[in-house]
Amino acid sequence: MGQITLNKVTKSFGEVQVIPPLDLDINDGEFVVFVGPSGCGKSTLLRLIAGLEDVTSGDIVIDGTPATDLPPAKRRLAMVFQSYALYPHMSVRKNIAFPMKMAGVSQEEQQRRIDGAAKALNLTDYLDRRPGQLSGGQRQRVAIGRAIVREPAAFLFDEPLSNLDAALRVGMRLEISELHKRLETTMIYVTHDQVEAMTMADKIVVLRAGHIEQVGSPLELYRTPRNLFVAGFIGSPKMNLIEGAEAGKHGANTIGVRPEHVRVTETGPWSGVVGVSEHLGSDTFLHVHDTGLCDVMTVRAGGELNVHHGDRISLTPDTDKMHRFDAEGLRIA
Amino acid sequence: MATQHSRAAARFMIAPSVLLLLGWMLIPLGMTIYFSLLRYNLLMPGNNPFVGFENYSYFLSDPTFLTAMLNTLLLVGGVLLITTVGGILLALLIDQPIWGQGIVRILVIAPFFVMPTVSALVWKNMFMNPVNGLFAWVADLMGLQPYDFLASAPLLSIIGMVSWTWLPFATLILLTALQSLDSEQLEAAEMDGAGPVSRFFHIMLPHLARAITVVILIQTIFHLSIFAEILVTTNGGPGVASTNLTYLVYAESLLRFDVGTGSAGGVVAIILANIVAIFLMRMIGKNLDA
Repeated sequence: MGQITLNKVTKSFGEVQVIPPLDLDINDGEFVVFVGPSGCGKSTLLRLIAGLEDVTSGDIVIDGTPATDLPPAKRRLAMVFQSYALYPHMSVRKNIAFPMKMAGVSQEEQQRRIDGAAKALNLTDYLDRRPGQLSGGQRQRVAIGRAIVREPAAFLFDEPLSNLDAALRVGMRLEISELHKRLETTMIYVTHDQVEAMTMADKIVVLRAGHIEQVGSPLELYRTPRNLFVAGFIGSPKMNLIEGAEAGKHGANTIGVRPEHVRVTETGPWSGVVGVSEHLGSDTFLHVHDTGLCDVMTVRAGGELNVHHGDRISLTPDTDKMHRFDAEGLRIA
Repeated sequence: MATQHSRAAARFMIAPSVLLLLGWMLIPLGMTIYFSLLRYNLLMPGNNPFVGFENYSYFLSDPTFLTAMLNTLLLVGGVLLITTVGGILLALLIDQPIWGQGIVRILVIAPFFVMPTVSALVWKNMFMNPVNGLFAWVADLMGLQPYDFLASAPLLSIIGMVSWTWLPFATLILLTALQSLDSEQLEAAEMDGAGPVSRFFHIMLPHLARAITVVILIQTIFHLSIFAEILVTTNGGPGVASTNLTYLVYAESLLRFDVGTGSAGGVVAIILANIVAIFLMRMIGKNLDA
């Protein structure tokens, strides 16, 4: 079980309130991602759930039992830190065994769980090494192993992949998703990378300045962002946001069109001059200037498109996939 | 220093300082060894005949020698024990975020800047004096008999004084080591169910191992040659109760004017210090390997 409920939780550091009253339900077995720009309070929220910070007011309920005043060790949560926080003077085996040793698990049981975790995480050959002798990805796996053997109600990940290089990050992302499918344990994952959020989450919580901007599945957030912030944050490359007369034509204060919903056509309502074009092979991302609509418009075109710097092109948006926002930045249905 | 040429140039250029240091070390050592082989007493001027190892046999068979050696080890061991354990506890204490942390830290470090003769005199006259001392006054206040520290427990008193001077050193080094501990490791241990005591023994103490080694090695070097504290308080007494090797060498050469035996004692002290060093490096030196 791993059902976590936050009830009007707030957190202040001195005079500064970093988390205004916040309600959130996390269901058993869900993979929830907290995502937001740096400083939005997502790590603080995770630490509140973990018990590493005390809540200023409000309640945290884990599996129906109030956990607000429980020490971290009693909450049956396991955390994977950004720096991995492995114990450098202990071998991998001892690192993984440490939480069980603290909990007084029998030797045979410890051995069984270590073997299980090592096998699942491909660490069997490294059990007697020290963390200092491992690569970043291996350290990451040891940290996950240390979390798994506790058989927690939920896993907490605090930006676990940000210290890895790009290729390894993609690999570890898959491994963690795979792990979640296998264990079916609740996971809460903090990241500032919206690609990680989109690819891994069952449910994404978009945070800004401690506020929850929107909660929903990745596709919900992609299709129906509730406001301008979510619209700009979810999706890569970013959505093109257009204000002024063009938005007025569609009865909105601001309209948003994703780069993949703008087509390069012979003739079209919009036009602009091609600036930088990024050829990825499968796609080409064009940065179009002088459209008279917004500063730079990003357009996703086919990989084989043959345009050059300085060419003037015409653009046609998919009107039915256009997002409309009012003066407060909220979505117009 | 990659090329043959630059290596040769480097050797040539550091040669003067190497030679100077070598001379600085070898000439006094050679003279000490030379004097230790002569019958050389300032009270009996004349020719100083070569007597071989006579001085050594006198020095080593003197019952004071064994006492002095034991005292030296007790002094070093006692001070190390107090400063290391006390230093860890103090470091843990002043690592806490408290009001006036800066001032507290300066106060803690201050004793290290007091020179040994001064601190020993302050301890002797203002604290441990059985008539005018602060401790005597406190004892009087409670109706107890004042305790004459330097007469009744001279070695222990000196251990106390030296520890007072060196506790800040240990604290300072251990504090910086403690501050370099990644706080996420402590948090991870907390989440893993380790209480404050387990966290100390499983996370903090292993992290401090290298700093503790440095503290022990450096302090051993200095404490093998403690002299000023003994000279200004007990003069090695009562009897020889607080005489260490350094003081014994001093007594032989400058109180009994027997330069030959004093030099022999000096050579013995060098050998003993090296034995201690070898044992220490064997025991704790592996902590220094990164």
